[in-house]
Amino acid sequence: MTTRRFIVEPRGLASTGLILAVPLLSVLLAVIVGAIFLALTGNSPGEVYVKMLDVSFGSSRGISETLISATPLILTGVAAAVAFKMLVWNIGAEGQFLMGAIFAAGMGIWLGDGSPAAVALPLVIIAGAIGGAFWASISAVPKVYLGTNEIITTLMLNFIALNFMNYLIFGSSSPWRDPLVPQFPSGRPIPDSGRIPEFFNRLDYGFIVACLLAILAWFLISKTRWGFEVRVVGDSANTARYAGIGVPQKILGVFLMSGAFAGLAGSLYVAGPVGALDPRSLDLGLGFTGIIVAALARLNPVAVIPVAILMGALNNAGPALQSIQVPAATVTMLQGAILIFAVAGEFFIRNRVRRPEKRLEALEEVSAA
Amino acid sequence: MADHADTLAVEFRNIDKAFYGVKANDNVNFDLRRGEVHALLGENGAGKSTLCSILAGLYRPDAGEFIFEGTPATFKTPKDALAAGVGMVYQHFRLVSNLTVAENLALGHPKLSVHISQEQLEEEARQLGEEYGLPVDPKARIWQLSVGEQQRVEILKLLYRDAKVLILDEPTAVLTPQESQQLFKTMRQLAAEGRSVIFVSHKLYEVKQVSDRVTVLRDGKTVGGAETKDAEPRDLARMMVGRELDLPTRDPNPDIGEPMLIAEDLRVAGDRGLEAVKGVSFEVRRGEVLGICGVSGNGQRELAYGLTGLRIPSSGKVILDDEDITKKTVEQRIDRGIAYVPQSRLGMGLAPGLTTEENLALKAYRKPPFSNGPMLAPGVFKENGTKLIEQYDIRGVRPGLPIRLLSGGNLQKALLAREVELNPKALIARSPTRGLDVGATEAVRNLVLDERAKGTAVLLISEDLDELLALSDRVLVLYEGEVVGRMPAEEATPERLGLLMAGHRDEGAA
Repeated sequence: MTTRRFIVEPRGLASTGLILAVPLLSVLLAVIVGAIFLALTGNSPGEVYVKMLDVSFGSSRGISETLISATPLILTGVAAAVAFKMLVWNIGAEGQFLMGAIFAAGMGIWLGDGSPAAVALPLVIIAGAIGGAFWASISAVPKVYLGTNEIITTLMLNFIALNFMNYLIFGSSSPWRDPLVPQFPSGRPIPDSGRIPEFFNRLDYGFIVACLLAILAWFLISKTRWGFEVRVVGDSANTARYAGIGVPQKILGVFLMSGAFAGLAGSLYVAGPVGALDPRSLDLGLGFTGIIVAALARLNPVAVIPVAILMGALNNAGPALQSIQVPAATVTMLQGAILIFAVAGEFFIRNRVRRPEKRLEALEEVSAA
Repeated sequence: MADHADTLAVEFRNIDKAFYGVKANDNVNFDLRRGEVHALLGENGAGKSTLCSILAGLYRPDAGEFIFEGTPATFKTPKDALAAGVGMVYQHFRLVSNLTVAENLALGHPKLSVHISQEQLEEEARQLGEEYGLPVDPKARIWQLSVGEQQRVEILKLLYRDAKVLILDEPTAVLTPQESQQLFKTMRQLAAEGRSVIFVSHKLYEVKQVSDRVTVLRDGKTVGGAETKDAEPRDLARMMVGRELDLPTRDPNPDIGEPMLIAEDLRVAGDRGLEAVKGVSFEVRRGEVLGICGVSGNGQRELAYGLTGLRIPSSGKVILDDEDITKKTVEQRIDRGIAYVPQSRLGMGLAPGLTTEENLALKAYRKPPFSNGPMLAPGVFKENGTKLIEQYDIRGVRPGLPIRLLSGGNLQKALLAREVELNPKALIARSPTRGLDVGATEAVRNLVLDERAKGTAVLLISEDLDELLALSDRVLVLYEGEVVGRMPAEEATPERLGLLMAGHRDEGAA
């Protein structure tokens, strides 16, 4: 009989305080780890962190830039959150985001200058959603009807989408490519009627739309009949079948919804701050960062908003660090550390760890009972 | 046996054992003679497992005397207990699943020579198995074995160490009736050799069948003991539960009405595409319980699937209230009044991660007042939940928590409450009291009988003959997907059903 120092037992329901404490503590621990790393490499952690805060939140311009960075992350975060919650492992938000951007830019360019903004803008944004959902459907349909593994297909389709975008701009004279500067490949600008108006420095209404969409996703999942069915399927497909819920349709629906949200991230980004299918601005891994955002938000679509703002602030601060001779990758390191701590923290949300009171046997009896 | 009867193998005097101040054993007295099968009877949580674990060296008592073969003893670890000849077969087996049967037998054996060859080991395992009616292939790896076979390995492990006292903790819970019968033979053989067997159970008829003596525990205390032959099952049940308990049985119901649920030459495919239900026909009338018995795996699951729409029958007909529903979907059948209690509560009947409220609305949610158009009405979910939890006495529910945290009995009450609240025309239930203690069994049986009294057609598919005989008006035996016997409950005896279940055709079977 061995004696254990700690006893781990599953917790029924974690308190709200704990659920809030874990991500906050994860950020704090990541900051500490980052500080150690910075100190070891001869930087002053204080100076770096002050600089980061200043860049991201220190001025009205800083704040608006932070929110601009956050906007696509809100939507890719929601895309991952709704899918993961239903055990649909869509890790293709990156590709769906790019495909959304391609569709949206294509729609804007195709419509040209002739149509009024009231027509063009919704069409551009919706085209992005369709692009994302279409890209997701390539993985979703075989998954549902043939049982293929969506982790692999969504992951691989990311590279196809990326290379397709690069082909459109660098490898061909497609309509997406700007014909005015042939020697320097870049995206053809979307006409103004297809661009989202700005309201706070460079920040456009896309941010507001993204927040509303996140709330809409939460509403769909938790308040509608469809959402209830989706939750039953996510919890137990067998039970869903037993209750007469069409499992394939629900999985397909969630998968396409996830893709549409990632695609919307793409359309809001190109119709907003970027203004063209510009590979240099789009190939930033925003779809992958969405997975981190979703994990930190514990797959709650509304909690995705503040987490995306935090991640946006970090992304935003990265380039500025170079001005004080600190690598921009510091930011990536911090994001990674936050994720690791948050995932580890999940263990404490699910389990209670305590010292044994008397003897090991006691626990075994309790768990056996 | 008389030679051994006067010698006690084990004696417990005034044993106390508490966990966190909760007394699991409170002044328990128990003795075990050599050469007897001694049943330890009690509800879940009565302290049976604690007492056995003390004997097996897993726990040490807080107070009390433990006398082993005439001298006071303490077992500090299970190893001590095994060395003294006491071994236990736990409910959850402790075998190494990647090793063979023979290797598991050898593992940790104190006296085994290092030089023993694999062949020799396998030969010994085979002989031991044959000798005790525990046949199992010694070369097979544990993961390849059925649960019943794994249990045999556990018992062989103890016999290989020549255990004098064998503790079997609810061994029949995982066995088919036939396997149980075989196990009982082995137990009798062990007793005849002078070994002692402690048989933990809460099934009265098994206790009655196999044991010499019985001790009843309730709430951690010894509440009675007797020679089995002198013990009335009724008295044992009362001791176990602590109140007059009448496990409900049906009264002959004069109100049996029109045929409600009809299967006509029904054929349903199994998981691998082979036909699992091969032309089954029956009718269940209003206010009647039709029991379907059979050894697990003889088409019961597929029959239930065919009737509920989880699998569309390949041919034949399902008729409910004069409507052909053979091709209808699950949802349409729920709509038309088919309620279903599947065998697996958390694997199919309930969504384990959703709340009790949500689970109680799992079938009604599509319609007003639970939802209006596409929107849910959370208030109605809550109201319905509160009402059913109260009405059906579902205990342990905490708001916002997933339903999987409830006990088996409460899970089953919740499941049945939901199904019964649909006011079904037909209720199909598979092994509804499986794994439940007596109190919960009583509640569940009452719910089934109430449905019958309301005029619902009830199809009860079960392997538990006690349950079937107590509740059914008529019984039908399924063997390899075919009906091999049907009879009114009055003519059904466990012996007759047992033969049919084993594939012996009855005279005049339909």
